[in-house]
Amino acid sequence: MEFNDNFPSYETMAHHSEEEGKLKRKELWKVFFILSAITIVELIIGFYPSSFSSMALKIIFIGGTLLKAGFIVLSFMHLGEEVKTLRYIIIAPYVFFIIYLSFIALNEGLYSDGHKATMDKNVLLHSQIKGAEAPAAKTTEAHH
Amino acid sequence: MSSQSATLNNTAWDGGKSPFGVSYGKMMMWFFLVSDALSFGGLLVAYGFMRHKYPEVWPDPSQVFTHFPGTHASIPLAYVGLMTFILILSSVTMVLAVEAGHRNDKKEVEKWMLLTIIGGLMFVGSQAWEWYNFIIGSHEGALRTVFEDGKWIEKTIYGANLQYNEYGLPVFGDFFFFITGFHGTHVFSGVVINFIIYVNVIKGTYEKRGHYEMVEKVGLYWHFVDLVWVFVFTFFYLL
Repeated sequence: MEFNDNFPSYETMAHHSEEEGKLKRKELWKVFFILSAITIVELIIGFYPSSFSSMALKIIFIGGTLLKAGFIVLSFMHLGEEVKTLRYIIIAPYVFFIIYLSFIALNEGLYSDGHKATMDKNVLLHSQIKGAEAPAAKTTEAHH
Repeated sequence: MSSQSATLNNTAWDGGKSPFGVSYGKMMMWFFLVSDALSFGGLLVAYGFMRHKYPEVWPDPSQVFTHFPGTHASIPLAYVGLMTFILILSSVTMVLAVEAGHRNDKKEVEKWMLLTIIGGLMFVGSQAWEWYNFIIGSHEGALRTVFEDGKWIEKTIYGANLQYNEYGLPVFGDFFFFITGFHGTHVFSGVVINFIIYVNVIKGTYEKRGHYEMVEKVGLYWHFVDLVWVFVFTFFYLL
């Protein structure tokens, strides 16, 4: 049996005329300028990070990234034009898993907190720039 | 009634039509991209885990990636900003090729596909240069405690590899090489696939077929590569 989707022809469904194409191209260039603008703002903020708190930086950068991702997925990848079912079947499971994973990682990342000097001694040993202080002692101080 | 069942038998869909209103190939490309995105998501979350665990010895990326071609000055973020711009630009040329395909305009599809391939090659080249500078490291190097021949010794380390890292925790280098390497492999295979589709466009394969959906499918993959870079850029360079 041959598998041909001859009815309806999904491949040609997105076809459009010259005039519609003009509008679409305008839209795409607009998205490009938005993406570039967000990137440039992020770079400028990244160049002077000391004028922002670390929490503000995280919110700005991750928020900007998610905004850019939304524009790319919905406009460039045309997911915004697909039917609702496809949209949610692509986005929902992914978002769920990543939120779950991030929570686990951030939670478990603090597992050895307060015991790094003993638990992660060798890991930290290499990373210290050699100075007067013993590396392990310095690490414990820095964290409390 | 009989004509309806004939239609049902002729389609790949048991229900007679695609539940998502897209062709089989495009749907499967989306499913592949979700699974691939989960791989990248896992890698970036693992990176976040290690970074969250060792904030005191984590290298400051703006102190590491400061090189720019043609100058010895230390300019953080400039080079990676340029790379990001190249990739976003090649994403736009790709979506313009898809748009031209929707109008069955062969000449325009060719033009935009070629520009996309050039953009992709420029990005892979830039990444190679970035790796080169990270591996070579600074002139001064840094004194590190390393485990060699069964004992801990002090040694000046230049640059980074999978074992040592001049700038701080070695696992930073491991993640950098693996994640940007995995992404670079995707960019490279994207360029190869783009090139194959480009040759098919020139040969008129899709003109004969009546639609340019293959361009759209490879476009999805290419935008995905851009999408991943947006996240790598944030988590490796900005934060």
